[in-house]
Amino acid sequence: MIEITEHTRNVLLEVAKKKKVYIEGNFLKILKAPPEDKEFEEYLKLCKEKDTATRRKRMDVAKEVQQQNKELEAAAKENASLMKDLKIALEEAENSKAEAEKLRDDAMQDLELLQQKTQFELIGQIVKVALLVIVGVGLITSFMYGIAIVSDNETEIIGPAWSNMFSILLTNAFSIVGTIMGVKYATEKEK
Amino acid sequence: MLIDDENLFHLVFEDACSLLDMALSIEALDSSDEADEKFKAWFPDNTEDRPECVFVDLNIIGSSMDGIETIRKINTDYGNGCVIGIISSSEDEDEIAKAKAVGAQFWIIKSDDIEPRLEEFMKDYDGYINKTAPFKIYR
Repeated sequence: MIEITEHTRNVLLEVAKKKKVYIEGNFLKILKAPPEDKEFEEYLKLCKEKDTATRRKRMDVAKEVQQQNKELEAAAKENASLMKDLKIALEEAENSKAEAEKLRDDAMQDLELLQQKTQFELIGQIVKVALLVIVGVGLITSFMYGIAIVSDNETEIIGPAWSNMFSILLTNAFSIVGTIMGVKYATEKEK
Repeated sequence: MLIDDENLFHLVFEDACSLLDMALSIEALDSSDEADEKFKAWFPDNTEDRPECVFVDLNIIGSSMDGIETIRKINTDYGNGCVIGIISSSEDEDEIAKAKAVGAQFWIIKSDDIEPRLEEFMKDYDGYINKTAPFKIYR
């Protein structure tokens, strides 16, 4: 412990009285008031009270800041975690979107194929019917012409009629085949 | 001496020690490497400057050694001449066992309300100096 001189004591008391400046810190703990000096004892007591109050205040502020830092750190961690989740969700959404687009494209392709198939089936049916009609008409007229020849009947009218009919049928048949091939070619080109 | 990377805790600890009249001066370091340098300089002859008691944080960010390794080094390489233990917010039983194994004498749980723990620690302090007090956790 340090026992201070009378001069120092007086200066300290005067500074405290006039300037309101008091001793602070751990130095206070090693200062000792001269015996029987109540005034300086009171002064030291006051200094210690002020120092304790200041330290407590500083400690409370430091603790508060420490707590805020912890909360900020926790919030930053939570934010990072949320960002991570968000990123994963975004990636999943993008994957889902890509998958949905792929499914849509597949469905479109299937639909197109189905439409084309239906179209070709329809064309096929028309061709079959048309060819059947052509073949039917051809056979009937040929049969009638044949009967006329065999039965020695007049063929002056039926002969040219058969010939005309046959050429028309052949022309139509080639026209149908040409149209079908054209449609098929155009469809393949569109693909 | 306090070895802790958190400078704000230095303030809290110094003020708490002052308010509890625990010590006249506390040297607060933020790196175990710095502490290692100091102990190396003090060993073996300079026992005057060497601290009487050392509080070491468990995880000291920015240092090459953690608290347990620091205690092991101070105890084995620099003469086991001071009261030493951990001050940490961790309560990991494995870490506590490791600290005990390297010669830590106490484990103080660091929290907002550090003063009651330090008060309790002060009551046992003589036992730590005499090496008679058993390892204790201050919760």
